[in-house]
Amino acid sequence: MSSLSATIQDVFNEPGCGKNANKSEAERKKGCTKQLQPGGAAGGCAFDGAKIALQPLTDVAHLVHGPIACEGNSWDNRGARSSGSNIWRTGFTTDINETDVVFGGEKRLYKAVKEIIEKYNPPAVFVYQTCVPAMIGDDINAVCKAASQKFGKPVIPVNSPGFVGPKNLGNKLAGEALLEHVIGTEEPDFTTPYDLNIIGEYNLSGELWQVKPLLDELGIRILSCISGDGKYREVAYSHRARAAMMVCSKAMINVARKMEERYGIPFFEGSFYGIEDSSDSLREIARLLIERDAPDELMTRTEAVIAREEAKAWAAIEPYKPRFKGKKVLLITGGVKSWSVVAALQEAGLELVGTSVKKSTREDKERIKELMGQDAHMIDDMTPREMYKMMKDAKADIMLSGGKSQFVALKAGMPWLDINQERSHAYMGYVGMVKLVEEIDKALFNPMWEQLRRPAPWEDSAKNWQARAIAQMDAEAAALAADPVAAEQARRAKKICNCKTVDLGTIEDAIQTHGLTTTEEVKQHTNASGGCGFCSVRIDDILAARQASAAPVMQAAE
Amino acid sequence: MTQNADHVLDHFELFRGPEYQQMLANKKKMFENPRDPAEVERIREWAKTPEYREKNFAREALTVNPAKACQPLGAVFAAVGFEGTIPFVHGSQGCVAYYRSHLSRHFKEPSSCVSSSMTEDAAVFGGLNNMIDGLANTYSMYKPKMIAVSTTCMAEVIGDDLNAFIKTAKEKGSVPNEYDVPFAHTPAFVGSHVTGYDNALKGIIEHFWDGKAGTAPKLERQPNEKINFIGGFDGYTVGNTREVKRIFETMGIEYTILADNSDVFDTPTDGEFRMYDGGTTLEDAANAIHAKATISMQHYSTEKTLPLIAAHGQEVVSFNHPIGVTATDEFIMALSRISGKEIPEELARERGRLVDAMADSSAHIHGKKFAIYGDPDLCIGLAAFLLELGAEPTHVLATNGTKQWAEKVQAVFDSSPFGQNCHVYPGKDLWHMRSLLFTEPVDFVIGNTYGKYLERDTGTPLIRIGFPIFDRHHHHRYPVWGYQGGMNVLVWILDKIFDEIDRNTNVPAKTDYSFDIIR
Repeated sequence: MSSLSATIQDVFNEPGCGKNANKSEAERKKGCTKQLQPGGAAGGCAFDGAKIALQPLTDVAHLVHGPIACEGNSWDNRGARSSGSNIWRTGFTTDINETDVVFGGEKRLYKAVKEIIEKYNPPAVFVYQTCVPAMIGDDINAVCKAASQKFGKPVIPVNSPGFVGPKNLGNKLAGEALLEHVIGTEEPDFTTPYDLNIIGEYNLSGELWQVKPLLDELGIRILSCISGDGKYREVAYSHRARAAMMVCSKAMINVARKMEERYGIPFFEGSFYGIEDSSDSLREIARLLIERDAPDELMTRTEAVIAREEAKAWAAIEPYKPRFKGKKVLLITGGVKSWSVVAALQEAGLELVGTSVKKSTREDKERIKELMGQDAHMIDDMTPREMYKMMKDAKADIMLSGGKSQFVALKAGMPWLDINQERSHAYMGYVGMVKLVEEIDKALFNPMWEQLRRPAPWEDSAKNWQARAIAQMDAEAAALAADPVAAEQARRAKKICNCKTVDLGTIEDAIQTHGLTTTEEVKQHTNASGGCGFCSVRIDDILAARQASAAPVMQAAE
Repeated sequence: MTQNADHVLDHFELFRGPEYQQMLANKKKMFENPRDPAEVERIREWAKTPEYREKNFAREALTVNPAKACQPLGAVFAAVGFEGTIPFVHGSQGCVAYYRSHLSRHFKEPSSCVSSSMTEDAAVFGGLNNMIDGLANTYSMYKPKMIAVSTTCMAEVIGDDLNAFIKTAKEKGSVPNEYDVPFAHTPAFVGSHVTGYDNALKGIIEHFWDGKAGTAPKLERQPNEKINFIGGFDGYTVGNTREVKRIFETMGIEYTILADNSDVFDTPTDGEFRMYDGGTTLEDAANAIHAKATISMQHYSTEKTLPLIAAHGQEVVSFNHPIGVTATDEFIMALSRISGKEIPEELARERGRLVDAMADSSAHIHGKKFAIYGDPDLCIGLAAFLLELGAEPTHVLATNGTKQWAEKVQAVFDSSPFGQNCHVYPGKDLWHMRSLLFTEPVDFVIGNTYGKYLERDTGTPLIRIGFPIFDRHHHHRYPVWGYQGGMNVLVWILDKIFDEIDRNTNVPAKTDYSFDIIR
């Protein structure tokens, strides 16, 4: 059993990650995750990441070892769907107290596992480590091992306490727990040449079920979905699949790659968002299965299903096209891959004016450029007044985003549609695309936005906050343009590399003075991106902007 | 016997016991000449068809399940809004008992009101003696500051002349000569409770302003800066009136609420019985003539009152039970325009909060279909709010709605693309609504307590907004006017929507994969 720090190092070394492959040995050691900035409004922790990655496993008891904070705030907070057991929704926690902190919580954890097994008898218990027990030295691996032996039931330690890093790391650590303790521990009753794993799909809003009928029709069996609507046993025998599709690349790439390495299961990265992506993914599934000895005729049948489904979806979307003509969309999204949704929206005839790249990799950005053209606005983050300005200048009619940006958009008076995890509609597959188009239509034409945009009728429209904010933005821009000292200060104040504290001015100057053209050169001259390496993507942008000698890329402060 | 003295079962439980079930079954079998259950079922299903609807809408004489009440109910409602005033209904006492129980059951408060208790001989010879004795007894027993007289059908059919009767009663010493006894003829066979409200209020205002039935000089209007406010017949009067007062005070406007019954329908429990509480003082009622303007929140509750007030030289403005952002904007801006006062930041913030709340939840309401029934103004206010939210008020029905009202509702439909497929039904009843709900189903119905039968029969979830609400408590304490009131209506609608989502997803191991904590 490897130590937590060794596992983390291992995850950082993930060769399947394109970004990782471009790094030096030293860089890789630093880890691939962005260092959290103290004082910033950060996202979830590694515990949360592990929990959301595994929580969709429906028939296991998810026991959170820690004080009430961890489970109390996360209990049943995801819209995953189960076709069977609902025990995943029951909140189990050791709810440790002061005495446990002083004397250790291992006994309590052991008893809690015992009680779960006695009272619920699930096929497995997943035990999640959290900060406090990790800090006081509770060894959940040992407790799980002992409990497992004593009760003759898998008790799986998920060692991903919050302090080890951000959510994304937690996703991967969850994957490691499956690889180490679950996958390959059982055998399926039978196998077929059509057995498929789907990795990194969580069945939010029951999305998987919009695709599953097509796979069923083709005779393709989802041997295991990790983890949406998953069952413990399915994951345990998932190593017998013939091929795998990886859905959310960042979250569980380690699982897909290591299963390829250990069990020879080839995988591809695909998406069911959008019509063309769905078709591509179906083809790719068929191709991989055929490569592994499924009959060739599978491809013929797949193409037939694709042709039929595409025609149906296009026909359903067609009536919306005239309504969407000239409508501009701003896409701010976290979990759902930006580029996959970009393609989907363009299919519906919407014009994309910008998309977020906050969680996107360099490859994602390239794909976005491919799809949206070179002048695509890529946005790291946006303030309400910037949003309002875009809307006011008729640069965007609607924003599609995750739940967090929702409130910012609403305050800015921008129509908004939820496409992230907390959405209540399923957008996957061909039918999902039609649903998305339907929802966009509803959002675009909701009369309520009128109210939202219009100031109170008695208000002097020259004096409302929007007008004031825009005036202030204009004034700031004008002041910078007029005052070289202030402009210099602003340039110096804008930090690009947080690890090495390198500002925009320094980088731009270095590029100017030394005629730099690559991120590597910039790093040598300024040390920027010499830390976690996350900002190398932003340095790319600066370089690109310089080379194009156009206006700097739209990019708000991180 | 399932019933025993140690553990007394109430009707929920008792009649489900085997003895009663057996007895009821025997009774049905032996004495009720039961129909073939299949035939009953066939008819029940047939009553859901378009064919039945056509016959239903061809009804000419019969009204089934009316969504309106009678004039004197409205008159009583208006009268108790004046300080120390007892409503005196000239006619049969049975009617009066209805008004009292109706109001008590809605507001969960005692409702004081007397009648002249006309009997058969009074019906033949006229009710003068009942008026004389009635006024005398009321005056001496309940010590009111004013007795507001209205009538039931009985008195109207025989043509009792209130003006003359009251005069005679005063001559006979029933009440002092200078004592205030305003009156209004309020026959139930004309209009509805909103008409009665209008007539009673008009009678009271006329009494004070126009020389108290010839016993005092007419008042001379000396314009001041005050604004009069009339709420109309409103089941939310307790919450609404207080909210409106707050709005006036926030804006720094001097005001007079005419017929302010918000206190008498919400008296505290502190050991003292208040037959009268709060209300517009008689002095204020008289001085209201000097106001700059009068605002009515419900046009159809003040169709006669407002012209009377306008004739005295005031500006009059009426609304149709404004609910939501746009309608409230209009109300607030009218206040600002008339008073010359600026709209304070506090109200602007409340507006922003309502807009914010609507935006947060709009996706759940947007595109949903609603049926609305109720009083004419309430229907308009709700329909406009639903349109604002992107919902469709598919059926809008008022038993006491006129053709002219229907045109107004149509104009509201026409103002929004969401009104395109909506229809208005003036003068129709809840049995018509039943057919509408079967043949053109909607997602929700908004109406009063009687809508629960529609909910049961058609499966359309009922959102209780209107009058009377007997089977849910205390909603009348919440405003539906002002931006904060709009928030309440929004929340009530949303609560039902979410309840429905939960109800449709709560079957264990069947639908509960969508039984989510986050909606």
